[in-house]
Amino acid sequence: MLVGLWSMPVEAGVEDNPQWLALGHYRPQLFGQIESTIDTPNFFLAEDGKVNPKSELEATIALFEENKDTDKICIFPARYKFLKAQGLVAQDFPKCEEFEEFKKDLHPAGVTLLFTDAYMNNPSSLFGHTLIRIDTSRKGTQLLAHGVNYGAFTAGQENAALFAILGLTGGFYGGFTVKPYYDIINTYNNIENRDIWEYSLDLSPEELDMFVAHLWEVGQTQTRYFFFTENCSYMLMEILDAVRPSLKLADDFPVQAIPLDTIKAVKSRKGLVKSVNYRPSRQSKIRYRFKQMNDKQKDAFYAAVLEQNWALEGLEDDEKADVLETAYQYVQYQYIAKDLDLKEYRKRSFKSLKARSKIDDVPHFAEHDEGKPPHEGHDSMRMVFGVGNRNGEAFQEIQYRPAYHSLTDDNFGFLRGAEINFLNTTLRHYDNRNKTVLQKLDLVGIKSLSPADLMFMPTSYTIMADIERVYNPENEKEGYAFNLKVGGGYTYALSDNVWIYSMNSLYASYGGFLPHNQWGGIGIAGGIYADFGKWRLLAEAEKVFATSHFAESMKYSAEAALTLTKNSALALNYKYQVNYGHNIDEFMTSLRFYF
Amino acid sequence: MKKLYLASALAVVMAFSSNAMAVDSTGCGLGSMAWRGQSGVVPQILAVTTNGTFGNQTFGISSGTSGCDQNGRVTGGTQRMVLNFLENNMEQYALDASRGEGETLDTLAGIMEVDKNELATKVHDNFALIFPHDDVDAVEVTLNLFKVMNA
Repeated sequence: MLVGLWSMPVEAGVEDNPQWLALGHYRPQLFGQIESTIDTPNFFLAEDGKVNPKSELEATIALFEENKDTDKICIFPARYKFLKAQGLVAQDFPKCEEFEEFKKDLHPAGVTLLFTDAYMNNPSSLFGHTLIRIDTSRKGTQLLAHGVNYGAFTAGQENAALFAILGLTGGFYGGFTVKPYYDIINTYNNIENRDIWEYSLDLSPEELDMFVAHLWEVGQTQTRYFFFTENCSYMLMEILDAVRPSLKLADDFPVQAIPLDTIKAVKSRKGLVKSVNYRPSRQSKIRYRFKQMNDKQKDAFYAAVLEQNWALEGLEDDEKADVLETAYQYVQYQYIAKDLDLKEYRKRSFKSLKARSKIDDVPHFAEHDEGKPPHEGHDSMRMVFGVGNRNGEAFQEIQYRPAYHSLTDDNFGFLRGAEINFLNTTLRHYDNRNKTVLQKLDLVGIKSLSPADLMFMPTSYTIMADIERVYNPENEKEGYAFNLKVGGGYTYALSDNVWIYSMNSLYASYGGFLPHNQWGGIGIAGGIYADFGKWRLLAEAEKVFATSHFAESMKYSAEAALTLTKNSALALNYKYQVNYGHNIDEFMTSLRFYF
Repeated sequence: MKKLYLASALAVVMAFSSNAMAVDSTGCGLGSMAWRGQSGVVPQILAVTTNGTFGNQTFGISSGTSGCDQNGRVTGGTQRMVLNFLENNMEQYALDASRGEGETLDTLAGIMEVDKNELATKVHDNFALIFPHDDVDAVEVTLNLFKVMNA
C-alpha cells in the first residue's frame, strides 16, 4: 500500500460526509461502531476499509492521485465523482472501456423503482419483491430499458430446507444482475403472473450519473444476503442514499426490510417519486378482459379455448376482436402452465391471431383497470387490543405482529386471498385467575385462497406453525404445545366478493404435558370468505380426527373486521370448539392498529 | 480484471460469445421465451431471478439472446437489433401485430426509426406475410418485417 506516500491532509470531516459514508455503505452498528454492509474485500482499498471510513477515504484519494492502477480506478467512478466535487482529487478519470460500454448499453435517462406483487407459489416471494429499472433514452419505449436486481446467488442449491436456513442466516451471497426490462416483464408479468408497479424517481442528471456510477461500483461486489434484513429491498435503499444522502432511507430499516415498506419509505420522501405506473400480470389482464365481456362473448371465449371451436358465431367484429385477443393471452398462459404442448400451443396461438388480424380498427376493451397501488395499503406491523370472554371467564388480550397481512385485514394494495402472519404474539390476562399468559405465538401462518374457475385452477393452501396454550382435560392443566398444520384445497368464487373454500390438512402437535407427548391428525374444513372492501368476514368449520382423543375436535370460527381508517380496524372473533371432555366458547372484540 | 461481458441485448455489434445460451428445444418461434428468465421449472426458494452465468467478480448486462440466427441470414445493425428484440418478445409482438397497436410496435418503430403509426398499420395489414405459418421463427419474422416495411 502506498497510502502514506500519497495521502494529503484530508479536509477535516470529509470522512464523516454523509455521501462518503453512503458510498462506502457504512452503517452504524449495535455498539456505536461503524461498518460497511459490503462484504467483498475488493470494495475496500484500505486494509481496515470495511470499518474505517477515514482510512478508506485516504486510500481512495491516494489511488486516484497516484493514477497508475487503472483497473482499480475504473471500479470506483462514483467515489471519483464525489471526491472531485469535494476538490480532493485533481487528476482526470481515466478512460474505462468496460464502464463506458456499460453506460452506452444502458443509455440512462432515469431511475424507476419496481415493486412486484407477492407470488404465493414461492416462499421467498410472499412479501413481494423490489428491483430497479434504469430508464432508457433510446427511441421507442421503456421495454428497451434495463432492470437491476439484487438477489441471492443460490445456483446449485436445490434443497428447499437448506435454502431457507442459509437464506435466513446469511449463508448466501447477494449480488447484482442487469437484464433487459422485457426479460423482467416476461419473468414477473408473464411467467409468475405478478403485477408490477413502477415508481419513477425524480433524480437530477447529476444524481442519475451518480446512480449509474455507484451501481457499477457495487456491481463488482457481493454481500452476505439475509432474507429479512440485508435483502433485495434493503440494498436498494442504501444505493439510493448514496445518490441522495438526505433521503436517509436505510435508517428506516434497522431490523427488517419488507419490500412493500421500502416502497412506502421511498414514496414518503418529498419530491422523490414523480409518477406511479401499473403493469398488470398476464392473469390480471385476462381476468379484467373477461370481466368486460358480454354473455355472448363469454360463451364464444369458452367455446374457443375449451372446445377449440373458433367460429365465434353471432359476434360483431369488435366483439370478436376482444375475444380473440383474450383467447390468445389465455393460450400463452396455458403453455406456461404446461397445459399445452408446443405444437398445440402454436396452432392455437396462430389461429387466434390470424383471425384477429383480419379485423381492422375497432373499439376495444380497456387493457387494465387502475389497480390498487400497494403503497396505499395498511402498514405491515399490527397491534391488537381486545376484550373477550372464554367459557365465562373475562379476558383482555394484546397481540403484536411484526408482519404482514391477514385475510380479514383490509386488502387494498395487497394480493387478495394471501395471508402471511409472521411471529404474531398473543398475550392474555384472565380476570378470575388474575393471571397473564402467553396465549399463542404464531411462528408462521400462511394461507393462500385463490379461486379456481374454468380458466385457472390454482390450489389453495395453508401452512401454520405455532406454539399455543392448550388445556388437558385429563389433568385439568394448561400447558404449551407446538402445532404444525399443512393443508391444501380449492377455492371457488360465488361472486367477486364472496368465496367459499374447502381445505384438507395434516396436523402434528408436540408438548411435554400432552398425553403421550404428541398427536397427529387430519382436518377437513370448509369455509367462506367475504371481502366487501371496508369489511371482511372469514368463517370456517373444521372436523379434526386425531391419534389422541384429546385432540379430536369440531371447530367453528368466525372473524370479521371493519376498516376504520387506513391503519385501524374494528374486529370481532368468535370460536366454538367441541373437544373431548372440554369445550371452548370464546368471543372477542378488538381494535387493530397498523404501523 | 478479467470480465466476461455478454453483448448487451441492444448492442449494435452483436458478439455471440461462446457462452451465449444454446438454442433450446423450443427453437426460436412462438413459445421460445416461455422458460427463459427462470432457471428451472421448480421455482428456487431464494432465487430471485438469480443467474448462474455470473461467477464472482463479473458484472455486466446479461442479454436474453438465444442465438437464433445461426446461419447468419440477418445482416446489418438495425436488423440485428430487431431480431434480438423479436426473439425475446415474440409472443407480445405477434399479438400487437395482429391488432395493429401496442408497446412492442412502438419499440420497433423506435429501433427502426420509422413512424409508429405507419409501422402499426403495415404489420397489421400484412400479418399473414410476416407470420406465414405457425412455426415461423424469429429470423423469418425479422426478415419479413423488413420486407413489409421496405415494400
